[in-house]
Amino acid sequence: METATHMLRTGRRGALFQLQMAFRDLRNSFARLGLAWSLATHDVASRYRGSVLGPFWITLSMGLMVLGIGFLYASLFNLPLEQFLPYVALGIVFFGVMTGTINEGCDTFVQASGMLSQTSLPMLTFVWRTVFRNLINLGHHLVIVVAVLIFGGYWKVADPALALAGILLMLLNASWVSLLAGIASARYRDIPQIVGSVMQFAIFMTPVFWLPDRFGKHQVYLDLNPFYHLLQAVRGPLMGQPVLAHTWVVLVSMAVLGWGATFLIFARTRRRIVHYL
Amino acid sequence: MTTASIRCTDLTIRFPVYGADAKSLKKALARAVSVGGALGRHAGVTDVTALAGVNLELKAGDRLGLIGHNGSGKTTLLRALSGAYEPDEGTIDVHGRIAALLDLSLGIDPTATGYDNIRLRGRIAGLSSREIEARMDEIAEFTGLGPFLAMPVKTYSAGMQGRLAFAAATAVEADVLLMDEWIAVGDADFQKMAHKRLLNLVERAGILVLATHELPLLKLYCNKVMRMEGGVASEVVDIRKVDQLLKA
Repeated sequence: METATHMLRTGRRGALFQLQMAFRDLRNSFARLGLAWSLATHDVASRYRGSVLGPFWITLSMGLMVLGIGFLYASLFNLPLEQFLPYVALGIVFFGVMTGTINEGCDTFVQASGMLSQTSLPMLTFVWRTVFRNLINLGHHLVIVVAVLIFGGYWKVADPALALAGILLMLLNASWVSLLAGIASARYRDIPQIVGSVMQFAIFMTPVFWLPDRFGKHQVYLDLNPFYHLLQAVRGPLMGQPVLAHTWVVLVSMAVLGWGATFLIFARTRRRIVHYL
Repeated sequence: MTTASIRCTDLTIRFPVYGADAKSLKKALARAVSVGGALGRHAGVTDVTALAGVNLELKAGDRLGLIGHNGSGKTTLLRALSGAYEPDEGTIDVHGRIAALLDLSLGIDPTATGYDNIRLRGRIAGLSSREIEARMDEIAEFTGLGPFLAMPVKTYSAGMQGRLAFAAATAVEADVLLMDEWIAVGDADFQKMAHKRLLNLVERAGILVLATHELPLLKLYCNKVMRMEGGVASEVVDIRKVDQLLKA
């Protein structure tokens, strides 16, 4: 690898040069995706070290939560359980991927400060570590996803390919927010609390626990909620519901614009992040 | 194999040091609103010039000792050589694989076992999982920690942690080794082995840059010496002239 045997750093400035360096960071981080994966698996393994079930604690605790909320809300709203349980389960699981990626994004650089201050590792490696860690968590939840789809009989109508596209767009969007939160949290230490509050607010304002058609004439406002689109693009295909065309438009443009703007901020702050820490 | 070399020209590094107030967005916002100042500027942020126009040229076989008071820029120079800090002015040009042993806790997860930490450290240093497994026995033997390697690192003493970190970090064939102080870890036996390993590295046409306050250590490992003061570096001189350098 070129960077391993020759390192040239200059004090050159200028927007174009900063952008070039940011792209080099991106390339190098892709070349070492294996490292990000190793760090992520290590994170998950060490979080559950010493417990009997290991990482399947993630599955168990999520399963219990899904069951509890499923039963409670189904009876509160007077809805059939085999419809509502899968709905809530998918909502909690996939909203959790977004919350996890974004909330833990705040910690990305702070947690890696030791490594960042004495190696030339690409900074984005640590962003992928956060994303991969949440992907591994999602992997453990797939058992629940499959179980509720069978329980509700949705496996007959589910469109896994389209749902995969939805998951991809969800990750693409969550990852730029995660990077942005990482940079901001390195600079301002009160950002994680703010991000946490926003995400908690979002889970109640988004149809995770409730059905959008109960919203009546206010349904138009749902269109303004980006999390609604993100969730719908995954949950819809899995439950055999059509996904509106404009949802895809919103998600793709959000990913493109979000990554574009965040990457510019990253290019500008990249060499400073290590000093923030 | 490339021959190692280090060249810094007019290397200047400045960085902002953020006080507690400057790290709060709420306070920065309140200030911006009440005083009308720009966000995040000039409040509790001090600009420090850590290195000012450092010129340094090292070639294979050089073992440079860095001396100077605390805060004179030794560690900043090492961090810059490791690629972590980017210059504000000037250039850093390093040929060869770099291994930095600046912080004992790099890639050390206290809850994980010694073995897991060696794996993690190796992955960070750029080894593949297979390469690490191939070297595991050798590294494990070098640490001399035996059965302790299967225990969590948090149960280790500082000396044991030092052994683990040193063994893991030097297991990678590095051409340029950057070290800060703590080389004096472990007991006499380990010191002897560490000494051998370091000399071995330098024989393999490597470069060692070592920051230390201890003169005996300096004389033991280094053949050249440079003094830092307030971010300004002296000439690189032969180790035999270290006393003159200290008096100057």
